[in-house]
Amino acid sequence: MFTLLNLTNMITTGIAVLGFIAISAMFLIWWERKVSAHIQTRLGPMRVGWHGILQSVADAIKLLLKEDIRPAGADKLVWWLAPFFVVVPSVMAFATIPFGKTLIPKDLNIGVLYILAVSSVCVLGVFMAGWGSNNKYSLLGGIRAAAQIISYEVPLILSMITVVMYANTLSMQKIVESQSHSWNILHPNLALAGLIYITSATAEVNRAPFDIPEAESELVAGFHTEYSGMKFAMFFIGEYTNLFIISAIATTLFFGGWKGPLLPGVIWFLIKTYSIIYILMWIRWTFPRLRVDQLMGFAWKFLTPISFLNLAIAGWLLL
Amino acid sequence: MADLDIKEKKDIFTEEFLINMGPQHPSTHGVLSLELKLDGEMVLECTPHIGYLHRSFEKLAENRTYTQFIPFTDRLDYVASMNNNLGYCMAVENLLKLDITDRAKYIRVIVAELNRIASHLIAIGTFAQDLGAFATPLFYCFREREKIVDIFNEICGNRLTYNYIRIGGVQSDLPKGIEEKIKNFIKYMRSKIDEYDWLLTYNVIFLARAKNIGLLRKDIAINYSVTGPNLRASGVKRDLRKDRPYLVYDKFEFNVPVGVNGDAWDRYKVRIEEMRQSLKIVEQALGSLPQGDPTVKTGRVHKPAAGEAYFRTENPRGELGFYIVSDGSAYPYRLKIRAPSFSNLAVLPELIKDAKIADIVCISGSLDILMGEIDR
Amino acid sequence: MLRSMNNIITGILSLIKGLIITFNNNFTSATTLQYPDEKKAMTERFRGLIDLYPEKCVACYQCVKACPTACLAMTHKQTDEKKKITNTFTYNIELCCFCGLCQQVCPTGAIYMNKIYEITTYERNKLYINLLNPEKYDEWPHTSPK
Repeated sequence: MFTLLNLTNMITTGIAVLGFIAISAMFLIWWERKVSAHIQTRLGPMRVGWHGILQSVADAIKLLLKEDIRPAGADKLVWWLAPFFVVVPSVMAFATIPFGKTLIPKDLNIGVLYILAVSSVCVLGVFMAGWGSNNKYSLLGGIRAAAQIISYEVPLILSMITVVMYANTLSMQKIVESQSHSWNILHPNLALAGLIYITSATAEVNRAPFDIPEAESELVAGFHTEYSGMKFAMFFIGEYTNLFIISAIATTLFFGGWKGPLLPGVIWFLIKTYSIIYILMWIRWTFPRLRVDQLMGFAWKFLTPISFLNLAIAGWLLL
Repeated sequence: MADLDIKEKKDIFTEEFLINMGPQHPSTHGVLSLELKLDGEMVLECTPHIGYLHRSFEKLAENRTYTQFIPFTDRLDYVASMNNNLGYCMAVENLLKLDITDRAKYIRVIVAELNRIASHLIAIGTFAQDLGAFATPLFYCFREREKIVDIFNEICGNRLTYNYIRIGGVQSDLPKGIEEKIKNFIKYMRSKIDEYDWLLTYNVIFLARAKNIGLLRKDIAINYSVTGPNLRASGVKRDLRKDRPYLVYDKFEFNVPVGVNGDAWDRYKVRIEEMRQSLKIVEQALGSLPQGDPTVKTGRVHKPAAGEAYFRTENPRGELGFYIVSDGSAYPYRLKIRAPSFSNLAVLPELIKDAKIADIVCISGSLDILMGEIDR
Repeated sequence: MLRSMNNIITGILSLIKGLIITFNNNFTSATTLQYPDEKKAMTERFRGLIDLYPEKCVACYQCVKACPTACLAMTHKQTDEKKKITNTFTYNIELCCFCGLCQQVCPTGAIYMNKIYEITTYERNKLYINLLNPEKYDEWPHTSPK
């Protein structure tokens, strides 16, 4: 039942998760700037701390001190709530991510389903931001985001179901256990699912080359054009937390999760997750952006049929 | 009455909306303002508005001596100042019936072609940026451009507004050791252009975004008097350096790259190829650079006989023409600039049929317009 | 079918090529400078702010006439030996376009352009320079190449 021990447990877990999210997001922002800088033969932030490692802290302080501007004619409530709708689901998704053998906030037996359900709420926040801002660019960005995220959810779910079929469970921890012998990505059937997952997950979190909702060169900043100060920071944190989550899910589902020799599980988990994040960053700073119709065509005409085919093959093989 | 009934029954209706893209927008290349009428993502109408950078250079010229106007030409097409200097000085020399030395001609060719490469690098970098390849190709292009700018800094002492080519020659002879630097740059640049091919030209996303977008038909291009790489991309082989050679361009061997379809990708590709040809020209010019004094001694103030002169040169963006009327005084009576970007921008509304917002950015990026030149 | 497979493969290959290019650039040294700490050395012919050797100046007004933006203003004094010397010589950086025409026309090489290029100030009146003052540029940051 609900005891004091339970409560303290919940609070410590909550604080640990929130602390990790804040630090991880700040680190990822700094890291992204460094990765992009080195790809572009620059140095990136160098002034605040060793190689600018505290740059994100300085930025956060700046954003906190900034004036919060609300555009005239904005839908006040919707506009105000939007950043929370982006951040809260991504925080909630941490509940079932296994960092280690026991390091999991709550090993739900429907973990995969829970994450999918929770992360789908993000699109609501993006669309609210686009709608509430009373800005045409934001509106276009919001519409694009809604169309894109809903489309890419189909191949994303189908590729995750393939893994679930092989592991025969929806629990994240048990999926990791099922990869004791070899990683899922080494299985040809699941490797394809893994590629589909990474591609559609990149689109899910609006990263280049699928970053059309915020397409800088077209829509200025897309759905968060009108946000400033801490609200903008919330979108930023949400974006990087989502990036961490999709990489963490990829690690769990396809790369053996926290399993690995010698080092403790949590280290292995972080190494794998940040490697995937690095690849996503590397891709972002290399490729041009797809156009909106090409993006939708890619989801519906290419990824969805292939993931259905993959699912069918998996079913046939398992029978 | 019937109409009213239908209207009342329609509770869901769609509406077009107007959006002002620019003058403050990340990808309108300066202070261009595009008034777009949108139906969702589709663009129905596009009206460019210009004039945000108007500085009335043509009128200013009437109160300046011929030499004093050279710094103003720097600020027309500010990424290709050398070519602007060249066009203006050639026009004035035509008016004065002044012959310049061979060495000056060669030096002019070298700096003009280097500046063409620098200009095309910016065109390519910003075009890739418009297509969403965020900053990386732009930084690579600027890295290479920096080397050209360093060379120019050594030659003339400025990094953007060069004011190097003067009436009767050039500001001063090439500094010692610069030839070696240019030769090294040519070698370096060749490998980098191949790198762009890998990174951009044949990238599948880049192809998907730029192929068959903004098709500019040959006849339309000619009717709108589009010039430069944009015209050549549509399949018209017209390059003043070949067709009406000025300076010593007839002594060099180079090709005029021509596109096939006239889409955004062709315009990009023509620029890439032109950089290769420019490198070739610079190499040949360096090889046969004659010795001697580059500058003809002229008076401080030029007073051409009453008359008029028109001279056009092949700028990185197209044909740049200067029409000068002299009344025999030290100041031009009238000076008219035919800026290539002005005509190139005029064709933009023709190209946006069935385009999406992303294509607008792609097309205006591929036309490589520059507001300094349009608004003068 | 075969063609579309071929398209997919060449497409993926082109993407990998692009990734290789950007990855290789990770290992090239940075092309940018850490600006206030490292400064780019300006070349011999660099055209910075206008400077003057007052003793060389013969008050011939050539530079004032040559200036396209009228940023130079001069008055002179007639000395006894029918020799002109400059009385005032002011330079308005606001208007200067750094074309170097004044430097070129000077018959005695009195007017020249120095290597100062960090020419931003908080006060507008600092941009009006008295060229005859020998300490005129002491406050301005002089480039000190690394």
